Amino acid sequence: MTSVIYRGCEFPADCYYDVERDVWVRRDEDGCVTMGMTDPAQAQCGKFVHIRFKAVGRTIQRGQSAATVESAKWVGPFPTPLTGEIIATNEAGFKRNILLANKDPYGAGWLVRLKPSHIDEEWPLLLSQEQAVERYRTKIEERKLQCYRCAD
Amino acid sequence: MRLRVIDGGMVPWLDSQVIYHAVASAMTEASEDTLTLVNPAEPYVCIGYHQELEKEVDVTYCAEHGLPITRRQVGGGAVYLDREQLFWHFIIHRTRAPYRIEDVYARYLAGPVNALRAMGIPAYHRPVNDIQVEGRKIGGTGAATIGEAMVVVGSLIFDFDYEVMTHVLKVPSEKFRDKVYQSLREYLTTIRRELGDKAPTWDEGKRLLIDQIGATLGVDVYRDTLNEREQREMVRLREVLSSKAWLEQSGGLRRPGVKIAEGVHVQEGAYKAPGGLLRATVRVRDQLLDDVTLSGDFFIYPQDAIGALTQVLAGSALAQQELHERVTLFWKDNRIQAPGITPDDVVHVIMQASSSV
Repeated sequence: MTSVIYRGCEFPADCYYDVERDVWVRRDEDGCVTMGMTDPAQAQCGKFVHIRFKAVGRTIQRGQSAATVESAKWVGPFPTPLTGEIIATNEAGFKRNILLANKDPYGAGWLVRLKPSHIDEEWPLLLSQEQAVERYRTKIEERKLQCYRCAD
Repeated sequence: MRLRVIDGGMVPWLDSQVIYHAVASAMTEASEDTLTLVNPAEPYVCIGYHQELEKEVDVTYCAEHGLPITRRQVGGGAVYLDREQLFWHFIIHRTRAPYRIEDVYARYLAGPVNALRAMGIPAYHRPVNDIQVEGRKIGGTGAATIGEAMVVVGSLIFDFDYEVMTHVLKVPSEKFRDKVYQSLREYLTTIRRELGDKAPTWDEGKRLLIDQIGATLGVDVYRDTLNEREQREMVRLREVLSSKAWLEQSGGLRRPGVKIAEGVHVQEGAYKAPGGLLRATVRVRDQLLDDVTLSGDFFIYPQDAIGALTQVLAGSALAQQELHERVTLFWKDNRIQAPGITPDDVVHVIMQASSSV
């Protein structure tokens, strides 16, 4: 799977995107989905200092927060683009290394796994890599964004 | 472009937090971007969104002194707030705010900085989010996404009660508390400290703030009051922000030490050396050892050696080699006798205290 990289921001081909919410979603073989913050989103918020997840087993509606993130200078939600039950969080991973999403936002830095309940209606609202890159290109240009990953 | 200003004046302490949460929660893309201005009638303590109350705040002290406590949906550390601070809160729809947090601060801190300059204080924005004057902080700020809004909060500090601030924090030792107090005095200033008798009155200060924000952002400011939807959110959020569950929720975020200003931290470390316990209380400024106090239960001769050693260490880079060279030279020049304590142990405890800066 190839990634597109635009001004340092990576967009892998195997992800779908909610550009408005800055979330990527990957469909897993078991019908569940894995989600995380996009590269522009992690660059925007800066180094994480803390993350608090909603409990596993909880059902969240599209647009609701599945976690709250605190970076050195900002606090905000991680909104889900799909309705469903949280079946796993990456709490253990972030406990080991709080910078996971700043280093590897589409891999080790995933945030939440969800069992979607309205996927037929909600999945078409997500954008493919190609569509998302087009949208992000404008957003990145307008806002003069450059993505950086944490090296340390 | 317009900016709606809601000047709430002096409000009950809880409302000074509730107001911006309410305006943000009620915000949609159709809402006007808003600036709220308030100061609290009663003093209180406010903790950061992910902090753990019991670990950060001396709740007994607060109870004994009648200081209520709440949690804000903005990050950072515990702060003492009172009527001498004029809070400003920008509530901007996220689609109209800059994307990068650095740019958000650059845009919205410029107005308050210019207001301080208009008063005669040479203030500037020290990225990411401090307002400083000659290396001292004169305003702390924070940002959060609440609902559809990007919220940027801060204050004009007319006066500050350093002593109460130092007492509301839970600290590991009295030495640490002293260092926090001394550091706040040194690195946090106020409008009255800077200007003395020439400080503007409250109303003048507020007028300057509104004018400068309008001019800096290039917007027409207009006065308004909370709309019905915002008032409903006020009622709902008063309940939330005053609830035990909200205050005592498990935050999980632990930052060692106390941040005094951007680049200035007070921290403490302890190390059990063969000759006894060594404790270092350090103030680090821009990665230099700005000030250090060494204590513990070890013996050292000459008796005044510790005081002299701390002088020698001040200004050192936080680097093992430089610290080691300074301590070793001091040991040799002063013929230090400290059974079971070596220069390595001293360096070790300082590095440990400073490790998370």
